[in-house]
Amino acid sequence: MFTEALLVGLVLFVVWFLEKIFTSPMVFRPIVVGTLVGIVLGDPVMGAKCGASLEVVFMGAIQIGAAVPPDAMLGAGIGTALAIITGQGPEVAFTLGFPIAVFGQSIKIVCFIVRSWYMDLACKYAREVQVTKMHILNWGGLILQCTIYGVIGFCTIYFGSSVVEAALNSIPEKVMTSLNIAGGLLPAVGFALLLQPMMTGKNFLYFFLGFILVAFGGQNVLAVTSFGVVLAFIVVFELGKNKNEKADVIEDAELEALFDE
Amino acid sequence: MSKFDNISAEEKKMLKKMFISSFVMEHSYNYERQQGLGFSLGMWPVIKKVYKTKEEQGDALERHMAVFNATPHIETLIMGIAAAMEKEASLNPDFDKSSINSVKIGLMGPLSGIGDSIFWGSLRVVAAGVGLALATQGSPLGALVFLLVYNIPHFIIKYYCTFIGYSFGVDLMKNVSGSGILDKITKAASIIGLMVIGAMTASMVSLTLSGSFTISGNEFIIQDYIDQIFPMLLPLLYTLFIFYLLQVRKWKATTLLLFSIVISFVLVYTGLI
Repeated sequence: MFTEALLVGLVLFVVWFLEKIFTSPMVFRPIVVGTLVGIVLGDPVMGAKCGASLEVVFMGAIQIGAAVPPDAMLGAGIGTALAIITGQGPEVAFTLGFPIAVFGQSIKIVCFIVRSWYMDLACKYAREVQVTKMHILNWGGLILQCTIYGVIGFCTIYFGSSVVEAALNSIPEKVMTSLNIAGGLLPAVGFALLLQPMMTGKNFLYFFLGFILVAFGGQNVLAVTSFGVVLAFIVVFELGKNKNEKADVIEDAELEALFDE
Repeated sequence: MSKFDNISAEEKKMLKKMFISSFVMEHSYNYERQQGLGFSLGMWPVIKKVYKTKEEQGDALERHMAVFNATPHIETLIMGIAAAMEKEASLNPDFDKSSINSVKIGLMGPLSGIGDSIFWGSLRVVAAGVGLALATQGSPLGALVFLLVYNIPHFIIKYYCTFIGYSFGVDLMKNVSGSGILDKITKAASIIGLMVIGAMTASMVSLTLSGSFTISGNEFIIQDYIDQIFPMLLPLLYTLFIFYLLQVRKWKATTLLLFSIVISFVLVYTGLI
């Protein structure tokens, strides 16, 4: 069992690494992960079948922005591995992998929090133009996440998924809820940092307008941007025009006076 | 490539380097700055090229550390435009550098909307459809076909976006510099940028209370009352409070991070959530 566990852990590590160094080439999708797990466990046909059935299940679960859906890669990797090892068909792969996929969601939150924590240091390095150190932090964040995936994969297969599930359940629910809530609050820090150089006094109104268009109007970011383009055009070019026209008139008058002479 | 005739051979070399370095974009994706660190590192080949003093380089690196998030597949388009603006900023001392981030923020909303629907919504589904036909039969080639169908367009688009973005940015800068329009564009960009940040604050920062209190047998759910008065009031207040702590009280970002986590635990353990 040790070899299988190690191989599955390794696949998860490498897949996530590839997924990030090629900026989302979709290597992490169940269809690929399932097939790869099948290949390393010596049953590529079964792997492909499990991957295919999980791909359909996870089709809708995509990550956009900071929202964190169930982790398709962990679910597919573990589900396929367990389906092959226990000799059951692709039908059960989803049931076997899903608890881990949900857990993977919480792991991501922890990972995002850890990385938020060293952003201050990264900023300091940026100011000092220490690019190598910035790269070390950046790659460190990636290796951290890959390692977490690898370790979860290894442990689930080696100790059995029931042991891992029991260990997960022993974490107080309130701790996980709190981390989830923190995930909702932390983007505020990023936006506040972004606002810092831009927001001055009455400028606040534009921020507020964008906010209420979503809060009251239920619009999405694309709609707000389009609205912003129109508004900015009116404020900057149309309203500013009157002054310029007056200036033009004066210029014209001066020119005419010039020609009169 | 011959179409981008406003880009010199030397600049093309720089942009190719930027394209390569753009692949570190999501290594340290996080709540606070999202792709900020990756974007800053991605811009490094340009920053190194256009700025000569260490002070200016550090300034630019720090500027691009700001919160940023876009579909990675077309992110090079925004990087290209930002690169053209950095170049203009390095030549023109009157250039308002804060407009660079405003333009980035203004572009990331619409471009990500389009990018997500093209890549996540359409191309991924098409590729999966083709791959699944093979994989359901038990063929490992299904995965390979899936990856090829998805990634050939992905890498071609990502590569060309670098040059399209830069070329567009250079033209824009040429047309607006020295005519006074640049000031207006800067102002317009900051209006759009602020509105987008407002919209993203509303859609990404979340805080919903689940606590309730009972008066003479009737249960009152606090959140319902808040929603009736002003939906998403709490995320707004929280963001403004963080802004206040940052701007007026001069708290550090790390302190604010810990503060947010502590607040979350307090809210959960006091039963407000």
